[in-house]
Amino acid sequence: MMTRPQSLALVLKRLRALGQELDRPSLLTADEQTRLFGDGAALDSMGLVTLISDLEEDIYRECGARVALADEKAMSRLTSPFRRVNLLADYIIEVVNAG
Amino acid sequence: MPTAIITGSSEGLGKAVVLKLLTAGWHVHGFSRQPSEIAHPHFVDHRVDVTQVSSVQNAVAVATANNQGIDLLINNAGAASMNALLLTPSKVAENLMQVNYLGAFHCIQAVGKQMVRQRRGLIINITTVAVPLALEGEAAYVASKAALDALTQVAGKELSSQGVTVVGLGFGPVPTKLTQAVDGNKLQHLNERIGRPNGTSLQEAADFILEAIQQANPVPGSIRYLAQIQSR
Repeated sequence: MMTRPQSLALVLKRLRALGQELDRPSLLTADEQTRLFGDGAALDSMGLVTLISDLEEDIYRECGARVALADEKAMSRLTSPFRRVNLLADYIIEVVNAG
Repeated sequence: MPTAIITGSSEGLGKAVVLKLLTAGWHVHGFSRQPSEIAHPHFVDHRVDVTQVSSVQNAVAVATANNQGIDLLINNAGAASMNALLLTPSKVAENLMQVNYLGAFHCIQAVGKQMVRQRRGLIINITTVAVPLALEGEAAYVASKAALDALTQVAGKELSSQGVTVVGLGFGPVPTKLTQAVDGNKLQHLNERIGRPNGTSLQEAADFILEAIQQANPVPGSIRYLAQIQSR
């Protein structure tokens, strides 16, 4: 089981680490409303891939669950869970707690 | 100690490469459907069907447990079938695509994620001269390997920015189970056509792979041949 504050903390921590690694200051101050993907977003496509790959490992370390965040279920949604930080934090809870 | 995953590791070229890597001081995870005869303290034998995504994912999870990184993936598992296009059963064509293309696809996805997390890694896809030569009598096999080559080229572009290099290495006929049923005269003709009249031994092919692993800056997405065929 994972709580919403836990999932949000995982996403923000990972975004800040990526911000340092990729030298993108906007990621250092990311919050729930930060756009992850799309026009004016903080990440390009490979940055998003890196974030998802890192988060899957973070989730495993946090709660021992092996999950795939970018699967058919996520990709077929009308509102992508990868659009904003808050949507991604919600989606992580849904995937982890469904397992 | 660097760590590698090799598919199709129980026999033929895969087995030869495993032995060379172990000698060179690597820790090696072998993925194959059949048990390996190799017994070595740094070799871990996994039962894996690369056509099944869950089988691949489970084995990669075991190989990467305890924060074990993966430095090298060699997609060597392959199937072959020589038949005239119009006489090739669709099941055969389907199986070739499953093993030669989708098998590598599953492994690249599973291991690639680990390598992206590490921000480093090398992926080698084993291919064939039959693609650039568009060999007649091997349509389904060539098509499946051409799909693999396309995957190599795109994966090379996509993953290079994350520190992961993807390349292809191609060979003419190598004496393995895959070429046992092929007519000797045809093999000889093909070997002469690719500038290797004496053929390519398992050891020569394995050495070519080892040299590629040691290469400092391989071109991402490139495909090189142990034959007189232009690299791509």
